[in-house]
Amino acid sequence: MLRLIARRLAFAPLTLLLVSFVCFLVLRVTGNPVDIYLDINRTPEQVAALTERLHLDRPLLIQYLIYLRDVAQGNFGDSLQYGGPAIDAVLTAIGPTVQLLTVALSLAVVLGVIGGLIAAIQRDKLADAILSSLAVTGQSMPSFWLGILLIQFFALKLQWLPTSGRGEWRHVVLPAITLATILLPNFLLVTRAAIIDLMSEQFVVTARAKGLSPLHILMRHLFPNALNPLLSFLGIQVGTLMAGSIITESIFAWPGLGRLMVSAVFHRDAPVVLAAVFFVSLTIVLASLIVDILQGVVDPRIRQ
Amino acid sequence: MRKLIPFAAALLSAAAIVSARAAEKTLVVAASVFPQSLQTGQSSFASLSLLEQTNESLVGRDNAGALHPGLAEKWEAVNDTTWRFHLRKGVKWHDGKPFTAADVVFTINRIVDPQVGYGLLARIGQVSGATVVDDYTVDVKTKVVFPTLVRGMSDIIIEPKHYYEQVGAQGVIKKPLGTGPFIFQSYTPGDRYELKANPDYWGGAPKFDKLVIREIPEAATRVASLLAGETQIIEEVPIDLIDQVNTSGRAKIDEIPTSAGLILTYDVRKPPFDNPKVREALDYAIDKPTILKEILKGHGELLQGQLLTSSALGFDPSLKARPFDPAKARKMLQEAGYNFSTQVPITTQSGKYVSDVDMCNVIAGMLNEVGVKATVNVVEGGVYSKISIANELGPLSMVAWYNLGDADFASVWFTKGGKRTVWVNDDYEKFFAMGRSTNDEAERVKAYHQMSGVMFEENPAIFLFGLPSVYAASTKIAGFGAASDKVLRLSKVELK
Repeated sequence: MLRLIARRLAFAPLTLLLVSFVCFLVLRVTGNPVDIYLDINRTPEQVAALTERLHLDRPLLIQYLIYLRDVAQGNFGDSLQYGGPAIDAVLTAIGPTVQLLTVALSLAVVLGVIGGLIAAIQRDKLADAILSSLAVTGQSMPSFWLGILLIQFFALKLQWLPTSGRGEWRHVVLPAITLATILLPNFLLVTRAAIIDLMSEQFVVTARAKGLSPLHILMRHLFPNALNPLLSFLGIQVGTLMAGSIITESIFAWPGLGRLMVSAVFHRDAPVVLAAVFFVSLTIVLASLIVDILQGVVDPRIRQ
Repeated sequence: MRKLIPFAAALLSAAAIVSARAAEKTLVVAASVFPQSLQTGQSSFASLSLLEQTNESLVGRDNAGALHPGLAEKWEAVNDTTWRFHLRKGVKWHDGKPFTAADVVFTINRIVDPQVGYGLLARIGQVSGATVVDDYTVDVKTKVVFPTLVRGMSDIIIEPKHYYEQVGAQGVIKKPLGTGPFIFQSYTPGDRYELKANPDYWGGAPKFDKLVIREIPEAATRVASLLAGETQIIEEVPIDLIDQVNTSGRAKIDEIPTSAGLILTYDVRKPPFDNPKVREALDYAIDKPTILKEILKGHGELLQGQLLTSSALGFDPSLKARPFDPAKARKMLQEAGYNFSTQVPITTQSGKYVSDVDMCNVIAGMLNEVGVKATVNVVEGGVYSKISIANELGPLSMVAWYNLGDADFASVWFTKGGKRTVWVNDDYEKFFAMGRSTNDEAERVKAYHQMSGVMFEENPAIFLFGLPSVYAASTKIAGFGAASDKVLRLSKVELK
């Protein structure tokens, strides 16, 4: 188990390195900061100063290594757009994003798994038909459209919830539902498929033959065995959730990382984009590490 | 029981008094975009709009773009290169310290220092420095005759010298201190800007207690927040949501023309648009009134054969937009020996200007009607700035230039010095320089009329529309007006 964690931890920096390199490359290749940040009346002195500050006269690879050296010292550079440290903008945005992701993920996992279990047990009956078709509907709904729809109905028509922004708990409801809807149907369908698969396994048939109650079979035999595929699925979906938060945060004016990245990319603020991407990749790497550990806990075979 | 009733009534009225006192009046405004910090001099209207809640300029500007006294009560040109500003007396910074000439001199000399990297430096680009005459008089020196100085000064907010010395430049950005109608409370980029009313404001204390400006980037959400009563004023209402606001009964659209003239610029270096007759022909092929009516839904103004919007100093009322005449366009193209197999991509960004891509699509369609093989080439912002600076935007490209109320600011982009155009015309250069070299307004207007005349004959661009600035405000407030320069002016707003 420890070896698994150690191996995973060893890969994490490599992943982060790769991600940062690709981002760095894309940002530099698609636009020269001098063109973007100095207007047409720029003086040669201004150009020289910015070129020197960003080391733009050096080869791309050297620029990247200098960037890495700075990051290793905790310096993510200054925002090109407003001059302050890029990391400050990212740090203030992390809290709101973590809050939104936690609520949305909990919603998706809990409701998705419960729904999946019900659908599997009631296979081919009315409940299954309703749940499965709801899941497909949810899957095919663009979150942008869903978000606007939720605002129009719950905030504007019924006036139960605020349209946007961050404040008390009521503010998190609509964005969390929007974000959860990206994942919930998948969890439901994966759970359903996993349980249905297991139902025809020998040990389940045996349990049933022994006369165990259906609830007992579900909770003691089916669900623990379905956990593993669900966990690996969860690991993959954290990235999807992060991507979804970009749209959701923009619609609901949620002051998180997603919104920050949109604004930074829009302004070609490379230091802020890179710092934000660093933290997003870190989250995804950590999430998949946690999922690996949990899988090891659930399934002894993985530990070896 | 009977004894209890008066007691209860007394209690209730006491509670009513307490709650009335506690019920602060808060105005909530939704902005479409926030700057990442409150650093001064960022070259964006979004930034200026937030900064001008706390800080003020020597020269004030109203919603229509007209200038009026601000922190300076009056000003005059002492000679060709010296302007004298007489400051308002009795104005206090939010920390109680008096506002004096030292603050103005500090601000201006800081801005013209190239080390500071002030984004709006170009507004007062010809200023060499400022000096104190006495506590309430400042002289601003310019390197050359600089007639747009006063207008440029209306974008330069005055900052407190003593406060800079206390907390440093970064401290000022974190917690701005001004003389304006609102006092800084807190700023969370991407979320909200909170301020409270300045009861001692020289221009009259605001009639509400708190001001909150929220960033809501998505237009549909912005409109929903207004209709749900969460916000009372919103910026940047897209054309297709105007009806939803006006029919809601809860809010009304408020709009004003901006000073932005939307145009299609030709690359006149290469065929086919090196031929002025071909450029003129295309102007006849585009049905501008129909685009204005159908795509902009009538919001905005038709540019009258010139770059300038009708409110700008230097606008020439004798020029008129060419009529829509596709038959004439086709005939002119044939006479000019136009090669009808040439591909003509129209380069544009998406979402930079209202309905930009839609307009380009319709224009391309209209050009195809007369046989010009036009297509639309949508590019992303970073790419646009790159090819724009390299002067490689292609045969036709969409752009809007703000004139800020004075011909100089927009016309400069068609001069050699402006570096944005590949079209060069000696007469144009001459008239532009004439407009810049005198402080006499009548002389300047004359020069600009001649300048626009040259452009109308030479057609370096197709002049389309003056863009509108569209706000919406709740029916529960009064005293708000849409701003042509997208700067929120809120000190006179009343909550009903």
